[in-house]
Amino acid sequence: MTLEGRRLVCSYGPTRALDGVDVLAAGGEIVAVAGPNGAGKTTLLRALSGERQTDRGEVLLDGSPVSGADPGWRGRVGLVSHRTGLYRKLSAAENLSFFASLHGVPDAREAVRLALGTVGAATLAGTRVEALSRGQSQRVALARSLLHDPDILFLDEPFTGLDPAAAAALEATLRARRRAGCVVVLVTHDLRRCLGLADRVVVLRRGRKVHDGETGAANAADLLRYFTVGADDPS
Amino acid sequence: MNELRRAWLIALKDLRLEFRTGGRLLSMIAFVILAGFLFAFALDRSQIAGRDVAAALLWLIMLFASTAGAGRIFDAEEEEGAFRHLLLAPVSRPAVFLGKTAANLIVIWLVTALAFISLTAFLDVRDAGSPAAHAAVLLPGTIGLAATGAFFGRMSRHSSLGDTLLPVLTFPLLVPVIYLGATSTARVFLDRPWTEISGSVRLLWAFALGSVFIGAALFRHLTDE
Repeated sequence: MTLEGRRLVCSYGPTRALDGVDVLAAGGEIVAVAGPNGAGKTTLLRALSGERQTDRGEVLLDGSPVSGADPGWRGRVGLVSHRTGLYRKLSAAENLSFFASLHGVPDAREAVRLALGTVGAATLAGTRVEALSRGQSQRVALARSLLHDPDILFLDEPFTGLDPAAAAALEATLRARRRAGCVVVLVTHDLRRCLGLADRVVVLRRGRKVHDGETGAANAADLLRYFTVGADDPS
Repeated sequence: MNELRRAWLIALKDLRLEFRTGGRLLSMIAFVILAGFLFAFALDRSQIAGRDVAAALLWLIMLFASTAGAGRIFDAEEEEGAFRHLLLAPVSRPAVFLGKTAANLIVIWLVTALAFISLTAFLDVRDAGSPAAHAAVLLPGTIGLAATGAFFGRMSRHSSLGDTLLPVLTFPLLVPVIYLGATSTARVFLDRPWTEISGSVRLLWAFALGSVFIGAALFRHLTDE
């Protein structure tokens, strides 16, 4: 399975957030999209997931165009963002049960139990989200993204505000999804973390792709230098 | 899964949140009771019979309460960015709109029932007319209010003017509903025959169904980037 964004162009008024970006993510691979603030990382993720229509370019799954307007496509996608996307006055289980039902998961209750167990949050099922810590909420949000067993997982700054234990649990879950053959696209401005987790890293700068390569010792120093000194092309 | 079932799931979730938070519902209920109480004191009932003005006051209260509530229909969705995830679920935009409208409709029904009871009590209306006839007028009227509120409640989120924009957008559009609803309800209060009312009720249904279908068809323009 391959997910490909081809010559993606997105603008917000006169500002071009993505300027002809190509990106390819294969199943069983974690692709990190990194870059400084305003580089177009979140816009790229929104374009790939179909949340945002592109001005030009197309998103292809195994060579066939996909569209955010297609419920079948949306049913294959999971999303975790820095905002949890949970209803604060509902319990963790109620939140997950609602989304499982929307996804048409056959046994929603069992799916909720399994998803919470997978992220180590089984004991939080009955607790209202407003009473959860940031790390606990993010675990529940991750469980929500896994409920319908998506092929493609998008993560938008998911480590924001997580303590080391919660971040480690999230990393473990992402590695498990990679082993299961999922496409995982991770947006982050934290280059050190994505070097440790991702198989490939795509670096954006002002809406353009300035680097696309495997993470490894050879690239790490250049990429880190890029983030600290702001070089135009770390590769 | 049937889209209507998904719409119902969204409505149930909204109602559950509504009754847990209570903010919107409580403010609407407080407004209804206060308005009924104030009208009872403001009117000189030795000169004006309660049932002569009850219909106009009822629809006025319904209009203000539903408009005030409409601005908060999407509060829970925005709080932690849940709307993004709702839109990414395999549920159609019309189903999201129908779910939001259904939940809003049930809240408006509660407010309308309370407004009716408080007005007839405070204005001392002994013979309020046929309950079935009132329901036949109020049902399409409240559907129109709910659908319009859900649509413009979302639209106001896109504007920096926010809730300020809501009455400016909705009041002109709701003039026919208020006019037809208030005149029909007045006739029911006065026990006029149904033949005098049925024409207006048909127009109210036309507005109700039109606002639901047009809202459902256009809702994606308020949600999709």
